[in-house]
Amino acid sequence: MKTIKNFYFFKRIVYCAFVFLVSMSITFVVLHLMPGDFIESMMPYLAAVHPEFSETFRESFGLNRPITEQYVLYVVNILQGNWGYSFQYAAPVFDIIAEKVVWTLIILLPATVFSALAGVATGAYSGWKDGSKIDISLLNLMVFVGAVPSYWWAIMAILIFSYSLGLFPLGGIVGLDALTTGIDPLDVLHHALLPIIVLTLSSIPGTYYFMRNSMLMTLGEGYILTARAKGVRERDILRHHALKNAMLPMITIVSLQCASMITGSIFIETIFSWPGLGLLTFDALSARDLPLLEGIFLIDTLIVIIANFTADLLYSVADPRVQVGSHG
Amino acid sequence: MDRAIVFRAGLAILMLAFLAALFAPFITPYAPDEFSGPPLARPSADHLLGTNDLGQDIFSRLIYGTQATLIIGFLGAFIGVGIGTAVGIVAGYYGGRTDEVISRFIDVLMTIPTFPLLLVFSALLSPGIYVIGLMMGVIGGIHSGRVIRSQVLSLAETNYILGCRALGLSDLSIMLRHILPNALPLIIVKFVFFAQSFMLMGVGLGFLGIGDATVIDWGQMINRAYSSGAFALGLWWWIGPPGLAVTVLSIALAMIGFGLEEQLNPRIRHRNLEVAV
Repeated sequence: MKTIKNFYFFKRIVYCAFVFLVSMSITFVVLHLMPGDFIESMMPYLAAVHPEFSETFRESFGLNRPITEQYVLYVVNILQGNWGYSFQYAAPVFDIIAEKVVWTLIILLPATVFSALAGVATGAYSGWKDGSKIDISLLNLMVFVGAVPSYWWAIMAILIFSYSLGLFPLGGIVGLDALTTGIDPLDVLHHALLPIIVLTLSSIPGTYYFMRNSMLMTLGEGYILTARAKGVRERDILRHHALKNAMLPMITIVSLQCASMITGSIFIETIFSWPGLGLLTFDALSARDLPLLEGIFLIDTLIVIIANFTADLLYSVADPRVQVGSHG
Repeated sequence: MDRAIVFRAGLAILMLAFLAALFAPFITPYAPDEFSGPPLARPSADHLLGTNDLGQDIFSRLIYGTQATLIIGFLGAFIGVGIGTAVGIVAGYYGGRTDEVISRFIDVLMTIPTFPLLLVFSALLSPGIYVIGLMMGVIGGIHSGRVIRSQVLSLAETNYILGCRALGLSDLSIMLRHILPNALPLIIVKFVFFAQSFMLMGVGLGFLGIGDATVIDWGQMINRAYSSGAFALGLWWWIGPPGLAVTVLSIALAMIGFGLEEQLNPRIRHRNLEVAV
């Protein structure tokens, strides 16, 4: 049994590595599709006056080697944390990203947890009370919430809660006081609250739909009928039989939501001036900073891969049947 | 029952948007780029939704912006569903090894986040609206492949498909004449939801400042208003209309999508009504 499980995880790890390799290949191809010559666009005059210098650069960056060798070099470099240099900041991409990713996680992690909890709770209720007034109202509400783009929620939130009511700051991570008193975690929390709420809100419907469907599916299973036939109380059917089984696929769904939450955080961070990967993406786009964008793309892929892998781990803990590797 | 009304309301809004896009030159009082009034004028009889910082009529720009938004959304959805359908039908119909390879391929592509990848390509290509639609379709389309595949998988097992095979029909004609029409309801639903999400992405790209600068689109309108501080200055008519327009259109498409889904897939329609407490 143990070896089967290990083999399953081995397969998942190989799969994760392969996905990352595909992402790296994409960024490699995009870099090579870039119009013009890298050296000549970085140092136009130098290359014109001293062609031998550009030769030296080509030599030291390995740009004169065959494309396959460059590819291997590129992959090895990325694995070693050398993700290239940003045009705009003239600094290593990896360092810039490492500094920003923490801020993104500060809003991304709570939003993931909250939206998962809220989505599962509302979805389970809706599925359980299928066809009732509350179910229909919830469903309509979720259709509405999900259809409104996250950037519009963010703009509205700032307009209402920050601009009109003055409950929250307009953006950023700390108030001006931080200049004199240092960074106060409570102040950061105050600034983070609205972005987290908006990101949570815009991610709830996705989880809700799946949970509702999953609940409907589960309620149609034979063991629910059996429980009813045995005379188990409805509340106990919900708690012991329906809910637990319906929640299983949610582990995967929540991790899949991660990709759309990253997209959402790009807009939300931009609008709230929250200095994470999203705002960095916006900056990189404004400056057409391709290496930086590629780095962000790679780290986004990595976050999604890690989320998926974590989901796999949790899944196998929650559902021992998964050892067979049926859904991998 | 009220679902049907919601569906029709969504359809009506969408038709309105299409009409606005088609007849933009006849509806709009000013050319969208014309400096037709004082900058930042409030809404008035002359300028229904006021003017922006350059004195351009916001109502005219809003109507013209419908074109780009719809083109991106629907072109992307068309290509995306086309790719997803082709891949899904081939995988589901042939099954076995082909299915295995295609499914793994879809798995890998689905793990890669769509929007950040789209941003990388946009920064590289500085694309126009048609290329944006095309890219979205190609990158995002594969996501529909899996659902269509599982539908086709069960279709391929049915007796009439077996009958078609027994009659010696070619694989291609079975897939096109017999499987495709049966998978069409699902494909149409996918199409509507793709149109919605690609439209939002398109406006999002404009908002992030990488839209097609040669056309007017709602995203760029929001971006310009937002980055010029329309909110802090209380210029609601500058940023409000494009944002509301994309929100309304998105909700309309969602209403159409859910309405269709419910019509075409009765299984999700209150399956457990009789056992619900």
